[in-house]
Amino acid sequence: MGARSARIVPVFWRRSGRALCWRAPATVADAGAMSGLARRDASANSCRPGPRLYPTYGFSLLLLLALMTCAGCANAADAPAPQAAAKPLDLTIHMHFRDKYVWREDWPVAKELTRFTDIRLRNVASMATSSSREAFNLMLVAGNLPDIVGGDNLKTQFMRYGMEGAFRPLNALIEAHAPHLARYLAGNPTVRRAITAPDSKIYHIPYLPDGTYARGWFIRADWLQRLGLQPPQNVVELYTVLKAFRDRDPNGNGQRDEVPLFVREPAELGRLFTLWDARSSGSDAAHDFYVDAGRLRHPYADDNYRTAIRNVAQWYREGLIDREVFTRGPRAREVLLANDKGGMTHDWFASTASYNQALAHRIKGFKFSPLPPPASVSGRRIEENRRARVRPDGWAMTTANRHPIETIKLFDFYFTDAGKQLANFGVEGLHYDVIDGAPRFRPAVLASKTPVNTQLWDAGAQIPIGFPQDYAYERPWTDKIALDGIAQYEAGNYLIDDFPGIALAGPDRRFVDRRWPAILSHMLERQQAWILGARDVDKDWPEYQARLRQLGLDHVLLAMQSAYERQYKNETK
Amino acid sequence: MPSKGFRTDVSGLSSSHAVDLRVRAKAIAKRLREDWQLYLLLAPLAIWFAVFLYKPMLGLRIAFKDYSLFLGYSGSPWIGLENFWSLLTDDQFLRAVRNTLAISAVSLLIAFPAPIALALMFNEIASAKLRRAAQIIVYLPHFISVVIIAGLVIALASPSTGPVNVLRSRFGMEPIYFLTVPEYFRAIFIASNIWKEAGFESIVYLAAITGVSPALYEAARMDGATRLQMIRHITLPSILPVILVMLVIRVGNLIEVGFEYIVLLYQPATYETSDVIATYIYRVGLQSNDYGLAAAAGLFNALVALLLVWGANRVSRRASTGALW
Repeated sequence: MGARSARIVPVFWRRSGRALCWRAPATVADAGAMSGLARRDASANSCRPGPRLYPTYGFSLLLLLALMTCAGCANAADAPAPQAAAKPLDLTIHMHFRDKYVWREDWPVAKELTRFTDIRLRNVASMATSSSREAFNLMLVAGNLPDIVGGDNLKTQFMRYGMEGAFRPLNALIEAHAPHLARYLAGNPTVRRAITAPDSKIYHIPYLPDGTYARGWFIRADWLQRLGLQPPQNVVELYTVLKAFRDRDPNGNGQRDEVPLFVREPAELGRLFTLWDARSSGSDAAHDFYVDAGRLRHPYADDNYRTAIRNVAQWYREGLIDREVFTRGPRAREVLLANDKGGMTHDWFASTASYNQALAHRIKGFKFSPLPPPASVSGRRIEENRRARVRPDGWAMTTANRHPIETIKLFDFYFTDAGKQLANFGVEGLHYDVIDGAPRFRPAVLASKTPVNTQLWDAGAQIPIGFPQDYAYERPWTDKIALDGIAQYEAGNYLIDDFPGIALAGPDRRFVDRRWPAILSHMLERQQAWILGARDVDKDWPEYQARLRQLGLDHVLLAMQSAYERQYKNETK
Repeated sequence: MPSKGFRTDVSGLSSSHAVDLRVRAKAIAKRLREDWQLYLLLAPLAIWFAVFLYKPMLGLRIAFKDYSLFLGYSGSPWIGLENFWSLLTDDQFLRAVRNTLAISAVSLLIAFPAPIALALMFNEIASAKLRRAAQIIVYLPHFISVVIIAGLVIALASPSTGPVNVLRSRFGMEPIYFLTVPEYFRAIFIASNIWKEAGFESIVYLAAITGVSPALYEAARMDGATRLQMIRHITLPSILPVILVMLVIRVGNLIEVGFEYIVLLYQPATYETSDVIATYIYRVGLQSNDYGLAAAAGLFNALVALLLVWGANRVSRRASTGALW
């Protein structure tokens, strides 16, 4: 990848309306050296593509020009860019994601993509809605399918509507035309299985996060020090520490206003369950199923869960857990930390660690440090939350797409080295330089007031299309305390496998779709009532189990288990 | 009706029918020609109704289907009454229906009279300045977004910093986490709703009161009636038709309880009293993309509402002349 500047990207052809347009060949180095204004000028080329035309009367002229210019580029193409399409091609893409972004042709990354692949993706998603799901639904209902559809949380949609004929099965195309993608899937059987629909076909290429731990425990190390306590190593010590936070006025204001343990999202409270060998979720989504020795289970139906709830309820009653934990809302962390009240939480490494710097001048000695998961009652230390191995995001090609081979080559491009760098680090020369063979963000990118990931999103990198993420993109700008915390977790090996999800079809899908929401709402209803002390878990337990059975949990588990076995049987891991 | 003639012989329409139709068509054409401006004025609304209310009704089919966005209305498989069956056998749905009716019934009892009382009180304020100021103050909350109102309510009911709980702890009482206690939910919901809407809703009644003839009050004063007597015997009977029409409309909306506001305030712990049909549809139907089920629940909703309006209208017609139809 080092010799990129020497490469000349083939001439860029575009037809708009009736006229033929021509754009001068530009080297990547040129683009890098161009000023921002010049870059914009280049993109504002008068050749705005109109509706796609198929070669008609202008074809022979096009061919002639192509031959003439190719004579010039052939000798310079000693390091050819990965070519997805033999001739320049416009494809439409519907990509509305994370409720506020759409694909943009003027993203630096999108332009770079065109240079590499000679495919230009034209967005057809409307910015008029602030709901990506709604945008996707509207696109399907309208029936006017684009060539490519992408976005986040679309896996079940890709599979369901793929089986109904909206999306094209990719298996054969991958085998025939996408060597990098095929190699990746062969090397990662779990990913392959996770994206395989119930009819054993693949309809989408997923976004594959990298990195391991996402969230972890954080505790006020300065409070521990002030009270002469050690970081808690197990659940008993944790209980003592939280009680000390409550009673011994660690913030020193003379009032008992400390909130020993708080969370931003009520679901995070469930991470406490692991201290009693129970679980709260098997994936990076809340309240999900988990896999235990090949059997799919739901954490809230386990016996250990009862023990966990009994204890968490006691902690709540004793004031060790934020009284307002269910209604405090997303600003809980900010408010409680800034007011010097919050003692411990379970949250994202990077953002939580950053409070150390943000509050350094406000609270003397403020130190909010990562804490390895305390050992459970049986002595197990696990961190339940991790980055998903496969996100339910990505992209797919529709059956209306008349260029499946070019499209699969485009999908494949993101699994080549050049594609991975483009999707992870943005544009060379603009966001990063290659130093010693590895991409390094430019100083201006790292020094900017805008967070690096936001800069990348704004340029079209790190978006939920099908690509393998590279954690190296995050390391250079992640808070050192967070990195240390993650390293600490890595060293302790608290990671557990996540449940990569299953796909259901037909009556099974309908049954689970119909029963599951009622079961989950009953579980959550009881969970809250128990924790708040409105009900007693031990008294309720037999009735609770009976109720779950009556609501159909056993059948849901059965349907999911058979899907799981179909999808992941012979799993080597 | 002319259908008989059509069935027996199409080619030789009996002359009387043909004449009949022609006469009618002529009459319609004449009316259109003479009053076209009026019809033109009517057209936008009629078109709006047709396009946005009647055409979507065709989509109600999906209540009987396993609806797929891609396969569309006609392509999705027909599953008969399965959607309705799963609703009516789901006790969470039945609970949602009960909660909806309970919240609505209590609202009807308490929140419906509130704007009437407010209007009467406004009417009695002698100083115009004071009255205007009071009106503006009570209208204001209507214009605040429910998200903000919910935030206010959450803050007010907070167990550590909410004024009620601060007061309670002054007296040595345990704080209550109001928003997680099912028993308090309806009270909080209805009370905050009254605060938000009563002022604005009183406008209708105030307008009706302004229409009452001053002669009646003058006569009553001559007879030595007190203010309360005047309210009871003149104002209230005069605005009764308006009250009844508002009541019928209100009953029609009985089954529709504000969805966003509940979603903002409720917790799993309070589903027992707070989960209404709209939130149920949202949770079960839309979050899991089960549009067929959601449509079935909506249809059920609409049928009950229709029944209620029809009943209320009958009652209202008997009680006075103030019926909707």
